[in-house]
Amino acid sequence: VKGLLKYLSPFAPDQSGAAAVLFELGGITVICDAGGCTGNICGFDEPRWFTKKSAIFSAGLRDMDAILGRDDRLIAKLKDVADKVDANFAAIIGTPVPAVIATDFRALKRMAQKKIQLPVLALECLGTQLYDVGAENAYLELFKQFADSIQTDVSKEKSNEKILGVLGMTPLDVSDLQAPDKLKQIYKEQGFDKVLCYGMGDGLDAVKQAGLATENLVVSPAGLQAAKYLKKVFGTPYTVAYPLLTESMKEILKQLSGKKVLVVHQQVLANEVRTEISKNTDAEVTVASWFLLKPELKKEKDIQLTTEEQFIEVVESGQYDVIIGDIYLKRALKQYTGTYIHIPHFAVSGECANAVKF
Amino acid sequence: MEKEVYYITADELAERGREAIPDELQSAKHLIYSSPATLSFNSPGAQGFGVKRAGLAIPGSVMLLVAPGCCGRNTTMLSELGGYANRFFYLLMDDTDIVTGRHLNKISKAVQEVVDSLETPPTVVMICLTCVDALLGTDMERVCRKASDYTGIPVRPCYMYALTREGRVPPMTDVRKSVYSLLEKRDRKPTTVNLLGYFAPLLDDTELYDILRQIGVKQMNEISRCQDFEAYLSMAEANFNLVLNPECRLAAEDIKKRLGIPSIELTRLYQLDKIQRQYELLGAALGKKIEDTAYYEKAKQVIDDFTNAHPNTRFAVGECVNADPFELSLALIRYGHQVTEIYGTVAPENFIYIQKIAKLSPQTRIYTNLSPTMLYYDCGKGVADITIGKDAEYYHPDCANVAWNQERQPFGYTGLIHLFEELTKALEGGMAQ
Repeated sequence: VKGLLKYLSPFAPDQSGAAAVLFELGGITVICDAGGCTGNICGFDEPRWFTKKSAIFSAGLRDMDAILGRDDRLIAKLKDVADKVDANFAAIIGTPVPAVIATDFRALKRMAQKKIQLPVLALECLGTQLYDVGAENAYLELFKQFADSIQTDVSKEKSNEKILGVLGMTPLDVSDLQAPDKLKQIYKEQGFDKVLCYGMGDGLDAVKQAGLATENLVVSPAGLQAAKYLKKVFGTPYTVAYPLLTESMKEILKQLSGKKVLVVHQQVLANEVRTEISKNTDAEVTVASWFLLKPELKKEKDIQLTTEEQFIEVVESGQYDVIIGDIYLKRALKQYTGTYIHIPHFAVSGECANAVKF
Repeated sequence: MEKEVYYITADELAERGREAIPDELQSAKHLIYSSPATLSFNSPGAQGFGVKRAGLAIPGSVMLLVAPGCCGRNTTMLSELGGYANRFFYLLMDDTDIVTGRHLNKISKAVQEVVDSLETPPTVVMICLTCVDALLGTDMERVCRKASDYTGIPVRPCYMYALTREGRVPPMTDVRKSVYSLLEKRDRKPTTVNLLGYFAPLLDDTELYDILRQIGVKQMNEISRCQDFEAYLSMAEANFNLVLNPECRLAAEDIKKRLGIPSIELTRLYQLDKIQRQYELLGAALGKKIEDTAYYEKAKQVIDDFTNAHPNTRFAVGECVNADPFELSLALIRYGHQVTEIYGTVAPENFIYIQKIAKLSPQTRIYTNLSPTMLYYDCGKGVADITIGKDAEYYHPDCANVAWNQERQPFGYTGLIHLFEELTKALEGGMAQ
């Protein structure tokens, strides 16, 4: 039966991806749900929530709100919060409830903007998509709304700073809360004066000045669309890479000569693993992903995974000597006897380095 | 701009009365703030027993969650818990399903595929549904009957409808009804009693077991102690049910209607004299004399020892606890301590305690974890020596804490004794703020 998961649990959904992009930006984030989605987003998909405060709210929708489509009540509640909480924007994130009742998010945005004196983002998530779709949309909307071209033009002339903007970096993709610090260190050593990790480590001011970046780095497919947008608007060139593979992992990858390898991860990280293996060995490497597989980053034989059954079939028919991915996925591979190399993917297993649990 | 955290003192709240609970304390009147202190509200399944875990209380059962992927996300954690591996399955809904309801046509086949994948057939397949089907108005009883006919295995619905949380039948009430729905009429045994309400057993040394034995009960059934499906089915032989959690009232009513088993409700209390009184009333209802003096005396001694060692202790009490935070606070105040802050969800039924707290400790501050203003709670301003509850700990991270949210359920004198033992332990190693 299509859509049946017998061994795996569902991966992080689109609303978690959208919320992750906004988490550190100082806005009011309203999850348009009955409460459960907010609990999942915060309690499971957002490791920063346990140590950093963020103004995340559930709309607390009840059956009659949904049946009667009482958007006005939601906006009134949002205004109440906007009056009480210091924030520089508000965002409304969708879930299956508004999806079923066909909530008009553009109308919701207009209604909210009329009531509160803050910019509003309305992100129509469905809960049926995966986190990177929600994150991609959130990045794009964020830069469209806030990246300030006038301020950029003025400042760019005065500034000689070499700035790197990092896109696609959320705990869901990088699975390490210290990833921004590690990345900043790497690129400062390469001569950058500033490294701005949008949405993870740097706030809304960095987003507003995104046009000042000398170059953008995309570390996951979720950041690619925004990178293209920033290139179009500000002419900022971008590269796609994942410079966060550890030295110990690189050593392991050097030892895969002669092997048939399947890498299952987010596409940018998976491609980096492939490049690293190919630099030092003659291994045959295929990338597969449950998540966005961007055509421009994809090789011909790369595989878009959609069902558990297909994943099992790919592994069984591919006769891979080595699989690289989150160990959680091994639950589906009961018959697999080859080597499994674990690279955590928070969006899959909920495993995140340097996270604190409440 | 206002940056004050909303709270109300006990005397102000008591004066307003149950008919005029301030909007700030009512979750339906504002957006619901999400902090780690609210996790058990927003995602009841994330810690302890939510609908998904509770739905698997029947021995040998498995669950098929029929929902968009997002609804099953935190189940990854549950699958890792002992006893739940290979018991959760998912039928993911796509964009079209959530609008057209076409997923319903796949359920019978999905159930069959799940059953076929297991070495031993399950005793029942629980179908867990979420807000989407609540809005689609799915007749799940019918869908489950159809799946049951198709597979030859009992299939039951289990509603995780967060949208109905404050409705007449909230999800945690409904799931309790679901898990007893497979019981079928049997001859009743006068010496058998069911303890209903929790999904984990009472602590082994709970005096209730001894008290029931005193009055001639030989077999005490708890669903969480049922080793197999037959043990579960034998719950239908009970002479009466003891309902230990008000969320189980509906299940008890249903059992009475279907199987003719009556019930008596007992409340989990922390006031020593009220525990004693409740046992007196239970004895009167059953026409038996209950002897509980030894338990009473022991509990009194433990409380006295604590109070002598730590007089006038200042408590902050949360709601993520195995207690009614208002009743527990009242108990602590009556034992001679201070309760400076309570983080609770105020409902009309709490006023019986709030009014008494107001008389004894009018300045006790009552907060709600769910208020948007809790974003600005400054633990530097709060005054407490010890906190009870994970939520209270969140606000006072440097304070001694007793989480008191263990799965094995405390009850009666023994629950009270264990709480004070934990408090003593925490204060000996804790730090006053």
